[in-house]
Amino acid sequence: MRKQTLPALAAFIACAVLLFPVWWMLVTAVAPPDDIRAYPPVFFPTHPSFAAFHSILYDRPMLRWIANSLIVAAMSTALTMVLGVLGGYALSRFPSRTTRAVGMSVLLAKMIPTTLLVIPLYVLFREAGLLSTLASAALAHCTVTIPFAIWMLKAYFDSIPFELEEAAAIDGNTPLGALWHIILPVSLPGLGATALYAFILSWNEFAFSRTLLFSAPDNWTVTIGIASIRGEYIISWNEIMAASAIVAVPIILVFVWLERYLVVGLTAGAQK
Amino acid sequence: MTAARLWRPGARGWLGILLMGPSAITVAFLIVFPLARALDLSFQKIRISRVGGARLPFTLDNYTRALGNDEFWNAAEISLAFVLLVTIGCFLIGIAAALMVNQRFPGRRIARLLVALPWAVPEVVAATIWAWMFDGSFGVINWLLLKLDLISGPIAWLSQPHEAFAVCTVALIWSGYPFVAVMVLAGLQAIPEELYEAARMDGAHAWQRFRDVTLPALRPVCAIAMVLVVLRVIRDFATVYVITGGGPVGATRSLAVYTYEQAFSFYNIGYAAAVGLITLLLCAAFSTMVVRRQVAR
Repeated sequence: MRKQTLPALAAFIACAVLLFPVWWMLVTAVAPPDDIRAYPPVFFPTHPSFAAFHSILYDRPMLRWIANSLIVAAMSTALTMVLGVLGGYALSRFPSRTTRAVGMSVLLAKMIPTTLLVIPLYVLFREAGLLSTLASAALAHCTVTIPFAIWMLKAYFDSIPFELEEAAAIDGNTPLGALWHIILPVSLPGLGATALYAFILSWNEFAFSRTLLFSAPDNWTVTIGIASIRGEYIISWNEIMAASAIVAVPIILVFVWLERYLVVGLTAGAQK
Repeated sequence: MTAARLWRPGARGWLGILLMGPSAITVAFLIVFPLARALDLSFQKIRISRVGGARLPFTLDNYTRALGNDEFWNAAEISLAFVLLVTIGCFLIGIAAALMVNQRFPGRRIARLLVALPWAVPEVVAATIWAWMFDGSFGVINWLLLKLDLISGPIAWLSQPHEAFAVCTVALIWSGYPFVAVMVLAGLQAIPEELYEAARMDGAHAWQRFRDVTLPALRPVCAIAMVLVVLRVIRDFATVYVITGGGPVGATRSLAVYTYEQAFSFYNIGYAAAVGLITLLLCAAFSTMVVRRQVAR
């Protein structure tokens, strides 16, 4: 027991240092305006105030940004899951040279700089009349989410014994029928984790959204909104940290809740 | 029976292709086709307003202009500096964190979770938090450094070149180290305990065990993590753009920010496409180099 106190103490201190920025975001978000300029800084708010949350939610279009982000993330997650399930199933159960080639080339998308890909996407969406629409951002986010979903789901399907499908085949199921009736129901945790992760990727995305949606403030997402407050001449740190907390805290909670699934899926995907 | 026939080996290949089809088509439309368009744009001396009209004559101008241009080389240098410093930082902190939470102590599970937590903070949010902490007037970092007597007066971090670069580096490390920690921790857990016991029997000290058992076993995991960290840093736009916008006087204008600026602030879309494609080539060359070396081992 004695031997374990030192590592525990070290871990506690290290976590406190590493997570200080998150704490500081929360403290600033609830700090009364005077505390922001206080010297020395106030590390533990004694009089938390929610004025910043009030002004960010009611005096700025924060609610609209949130709604837009939710719509974009929902659209890209839906498309990603349909394609990811089919592709992941193909890679897991029907591997051939062709499917593997597609799977690998999809992974190469990880190397493409967003700032490069967004140039032709901007041009193409403009020509298609889609520029500044939420759909354009959702489609752009799919370039990030689809590759990762295919491989994360493939890893999950790999963990399901093949006997399940053999039984389904004997029962007269087609492969798609087996996927729908047998595999998907037992894959719900994996599907949930993948969908959630795709949703988070889209919710957090900045470069595509900012380029494709910037000229239509009504369609801004939360990340564009926060960056725009950051760009103001006199920055209201209370408000920007309140907005940041609204954006980040749900994601942090999901992460705490699902850490094991997300980490397993990600490290599996990364090793490909 | 038709259903049974579909499961036969001959049909399986076609089934795989059929299932992969929708993804392949979507990726072709969203990635391959756009990349070809970017390539086409990069061979034209074209501004954003002219795009969609008649194709302009083929020219290599954008590439020669980039390679003979101080701004481009400056951006390449800044990207390289970010890559080096951020990768080193991510690995130092990531490996240290993984080793720490790999020990046995009460609350280890929570510590593992907390160490990886910055991963869950959206980049834009992380960037704004660091911009606030490094604020020149009321920032908490200035207070800390003054308190420790490390500086004599407050520093205007974001309006000075080197200081602004340092702030971006810190933010990128903070967002990037959890991934290394998680990967290394997974690697550590895969090392069989017998290896350590054998080393102990041979009389190896803790440091020798770390050097001769742990490090070699972690090499493959570290290689993968390194590729992904480097790619992330080269491609990063959000962090630097939100903290400094590429300034002051271009001190944090990485290749990604430079590409974006040329395309959407100066509308030199052909030139921007060329710069972006050069960046892509660098990413591809680097990844294949590391993966090859890893395979060769």
